[in-house]
Amino acid sequence: MIIRYEVGIVETRNVIKSILDTYGYDFRDYALTSFKRRLEQIIMNNGFKDADGLISRLTTNKDYFETFLHEITPETTEMFRDPSLWRTVRDELLPDLMKGGSTKPKLWVAAFDSGEELYSLAIILKELGLLSEVQLYASAISDKAIEKIKSGRIDSKELEVNDANYLRFIGKRNFSDYYKNDNGQIILDSSLIQGVNFIKLNTVYDNVPGGIKLILFRNQMIYYNQILQDKVLNQITNSVVPGGYLAIGAKETLENTTTSTKFTLFNDLDKIYKKKTN
Amino acid sequence: MNYKAVIIGGSAGSFQVITRILHSLPPTFPLPVLLSLHRLKHIRSGFVEALSIKAGIPIVEPFDKEQIKPGKAYLAPANYHMYIELGNKIALSTEESVNHSRPSIDLSFITAAQVYREKLVGIILSGANRDGAYGLKKIKDLGGTIIVQDPAECQVKTMTEASLKLTKADYIFSTQEIIKFLQNIKTTAP
Repeated sequence: MIIRYEVGIVETRNVIKSILDTYGYDFRDYALTSFKRRLEQIIMNNGFKDADGLISRLTTNKDYFETFLHEITPETTEMFRDPSLWRTVRDELLPDLMKGGSTKPKLWVAAFDSGEELYSLAIILKELGLLSEVQLYASAISDKAIEKIKSGRIDSKELEVNDANYLRFIGKRNFSDYYKNDNGQIILDSSLIQGVNFIKLNTVYDNVPGGIKLILFRNQMIYYNQILQDKVLNQITNSVVPGGYLAIGAKETLENTTTSTKFTLFNDLDKIYKKKTN
Repeated sequence: MNYKAVIIGGSAGSFQVITRILHSLPPTFPLPVLLSLHRLKHIRSGFVEALSIKAGIPIVEPFDKEQIKPGKAYLAPANYHMYIELGNKIALSTEESVNHSRPSIDLSFITAAQVYREKLVGIILSGANRDGAYGLKKIKDLGGTIIVQDPAECQVKTMTEASLKLTKADYIFSTQEIIKFLQNIKTTAP
């Protein structure tokens, strides 16, 4: 691996400050190492000379800022990453969530990923015949990300992994029933997400939906420092109904956060928490 | 040199070597040991248990932002990159694979080098691809000490040979010599 350009801590702070000053998006409490690395990749991929080159484009070109928002959020995940989590969603969480109530349960894919979590959830709902029985929400940081998710285009390099994950999830069909292969580009069936409400959120999640019964928020907090972890978790906690569920990444934890007292650990292996009722 | 951390990268053919090294470390080992090893991405359990059976120090698969402590080994979890963050913490990432690997040894090495600089020992072991070679060079460039397992002893020498091609190792050691080096290591601890 060759890194052609390395960004220092001072330069990283300069980029963060100019984004905050120009657009009000606050990346100050993102985890430094991964943020720095993303900047390096953006600078390399776009052929900027250095961090100042990036700053000058960012501050003078709002369109480019939208692209930047899309690129700065790590978006690689897999379909059905951690198949055991998805089996639990299917076999335990959804049956519980569908009980009682005349309104459709609200489910929210809250992490800024490239759509794989949303499509995985939609496939499960479709296989259970529940796709139109729930209200799905998905958040994204940029219009570009929403467009991309709606297009159904996912990283074709991951096809083998996605296939293997679906097999381990033990779905009802074949994973290949859910996408078409357009000259090597994998395009998921976007009818799966037709009824989804997309919510554009900024970095601090200050405009979250309410009354949610299940939130998937996996592998997003790893890109935050502990200050932002606490802040965003508080927002998210407020949107979950008592008795509702929150799933975070397998190697993330609510321990050490101020939110931990509001949940009980429902499933340790896949870090699923259930909100207390009092 | 007084060191603050040891980081070890390995892939195919490194399991036995790592096991021997961990077995040889005393419970009083004064430094954290960071382990960035290639592993099957979908198998999340079993590896840390297998490494722990004979290890002299506790081994964990850290949670994100876990504080790094001396006398403990930190194994990069399956399907995550493991970074070393300022403030002596672990940071995990699901960013794209590097050198077809997640965890990528290069990324662990580079980030550790940036935090510990000359107070880092980097060790590269047997392996079948080039991941780790660039990271090892980075450790060296920032003043750290680098050890390459003797390719003659490696089950698969691609990784160690790639490393030696890219930079000059401080030591080319057999497993036994690596163990001896670690047992005599000096630290900044009072």
